[in-house]
Amino acid sequence: MKLYLKLAWRNIWRNKRRTIIAASSIFFAILLAIFTRSLQHGSYDYMIDSAVRLYTGYLQIHGKGYWEERTLEKSIEANEEFINKIEKTKFVEIAVPRLENFMLISSNNITKVASVIGIDPEKENQMTRLKEKLVAGRYLNDYDEGILISEGLARLLNVQTGDSVILYGQGIYGITAAVISPIIGIVKFALPDLNNSFVYLPIRFGQNLFSMENKITTISVMLNNPKKIDEVEIELKKLANNESEIMRWEDMMPELVQGIQLDSVSGMIMLLILYLVIAFGILGTVMMMTAERTKEFGILISIGVKKSKLILITTIESVSIALIGGLLGVLFSIPVVYYFHNNPIRFTGELEEISLKFGVEPILPLSIDPGIFVAQAFIVFFIALLSSIYPLNFIRKLKPVEAMRL
Amino acid sequence: MKTFKLILPLVIFFLQTKFLFPQSALEIVNKAQDLLYAKSSYVEMTMTIVKPNWQRKLGMKVWALEPDYAMIYITEPARDKGTVTLKRKNEIWNYLPSVQKIIKIPPSMMNQSWMGSDFTNDDLVRSSSYKDDYTHNLIGSEKIGEYDCYKIESIPKPNAGIVWSKVISYISKNGFMQLKSEFYDEDGKLIKNFNGSEIKKVGGRTIPTRWEMIPLDKPGNKTIIEYQKIEFNINIKESFFSQQNMTRVR
Repeated sequence: MKLYLKLAWRNIWRNKRRTIIAASSIFFAILLAIFTRSLQHGSYDYMIDSAVRLYTGYLQIHGKGYWEERTLEKSIEANEEFINKIEKTKFVEIAVPRLENFMLISSNNITKVASVIGIDPEKENQMTRLKEKLVAGRYLNDYDEGILISEGLARLLNVQTGDSVILYGQGIYGITAAVISPIIGIVKFALPDLNNSFVYLPIRFGQNLFSMENKITTISVMLNNPKKIDEVEIELKKLANNESEIMRWEDMMPELVQGIQLDSVSGMIMLLILYLVIAFGILGTVMMMTAERTKEFGILISIGVKKSKLILITTIESVSIALIGGLLGVLFSIPVVYYFHNNPIRFTGELEEISLKFGVEPILPLSIDPGIFVAQAFIVFFIALLSSIYPLNFIRKLKPVEAMRL
Repeated sequence: MKTFKLILPLVIFFLQTKFLFPQSALEIVNKAQDLLYAKSSYVEMTMTIVKPNWQRKLGMKVWALEPDYAMIYITEPARDKGTVTLKRKNEIWNYLPSVQKIIKIPPSMMNQSWMGSDFTNDDLVRSSSYKDDYTHNLIGSEKIGEYDCYKIESIPKPNAGIVWSKVISYISKNGFMQLKSEFYDEDGKLIKNFNGSEIKKVGGRTIPTRWEMIPLDKPGNKTIIEYQKIEFNINIKESFFSQQNMTRVR
């Protein structure tokens, strides 16, 4: 075996240029495949992070049945200690309590429906950067008895900061909740849905208004490592009592999941085309090599080298070339992907404007998920191996006499 | 003999209509509806909302001028006392004493529950007529408590816009009181029971004064309505049902 390895190795380097061309075609193929896939995954991760940061969090803890019914009766205890425990859990960035309700908001004779959200102003800002969305007035503090109103809603109601509006709805158990509340600030969201319906107030103020002492409806959890969501979920299940349930972002935002799946399919098709190009590139090189060496093969066989041994040697050659190109490709792609992961590509123009409007940085971050490197390397390596079937077959059918005439 | 020949068919005809054939289903339903219906009315009642782990009792006074106008004044609990709901045709306003404002309920909120009950705002304004929106068939007799009842199956007319596939009602043969109704969904599954009990003479009519609505798809939920006082055909004008008057009624 050692002999065959040595033979194969020498064979490879007998024609440096040929080997370098073949190996580099594989090298660039792997580089391109990894870069493409990493860009895709990176932008999905970034999209998910931006979307969950906007509101739901990666995980959300709420009362059993709250998600379906959205009633205040399904609320949970606002337990400071519990929230601290969640935040101490590994991979958890922050846990944000909220008290959510639907109410009518009315000014003079205009009445609209609003999503009223009781927040812990400090934590809410850390998660959703709400403070940065302020366009008038000031941000809330814990003891305010007033509201932040979204800009579209303020426009519909024709009110400014300093004006008062009436909030009217139901507290817990259908109790009437009504209050005249001053507008402390106005926040602007890029998404019209949010911009025309969101009203924020401090949790305490909300609890008094809805007659629900020390209760909240949801705790949104952000992770600093989204890949560890399963582990965090298990940890939180240990912490939570049987009154509450834990929900993942995939279940809370199925449309985002579908969007990503759809995009991922188009990405796969792109990759498939890429693989085809790669396959034919490699196959072309292999056929060239085989054609070049027809005479050599013929001579070898006629001086008594067994076909099977020759096949073995050529196989080792192809595998080696694929390995050289493949390993170099992966090794080289790691720093490249890392660089772009830390210094994401910024896009400009119209896309940039849209992005910034949504409060999302106009960047294309790359994912550094090791799975991508391994998977792409394997696929390209496998294609290379498939192409090496051609010379095997060629040798198997070779008639030495004809071959030597070439 | 001649006279006899003349009278006999009349007698037979008379017998047939009055005694041989029971009344038609529509007639029974008409009578049951007329018993509870008046052009105008004043009611003092309580509504108890029962949920699996809490319940709530609302006291109210209701002035009504059929079919378009109603005014509801909440008397209890203390926190909601003085809240007034005004219904004019298909619009609803609420007066909130705590902020001294009248708020019109926007269309998007019509499907929300009214005062936390099992009734929606829409239920208050939708004037579906049991009499006219269904075709009624008499399908038998049954005893409900001590009352012999007609069992009537009512199938909604195609364009009535009713969510039920059928309603089965039990109307007492004596007094035409609707003691029980069963509401079935499109799959023929029983969804809601509506029972009347505590039969008393109020406002000059003998009627059930306690109604229970039991949604069978939501175990542990029900709504109970109890009448303390009813006056039928009171002297009340359209002008009573105005936004100005919402802040004045007691």
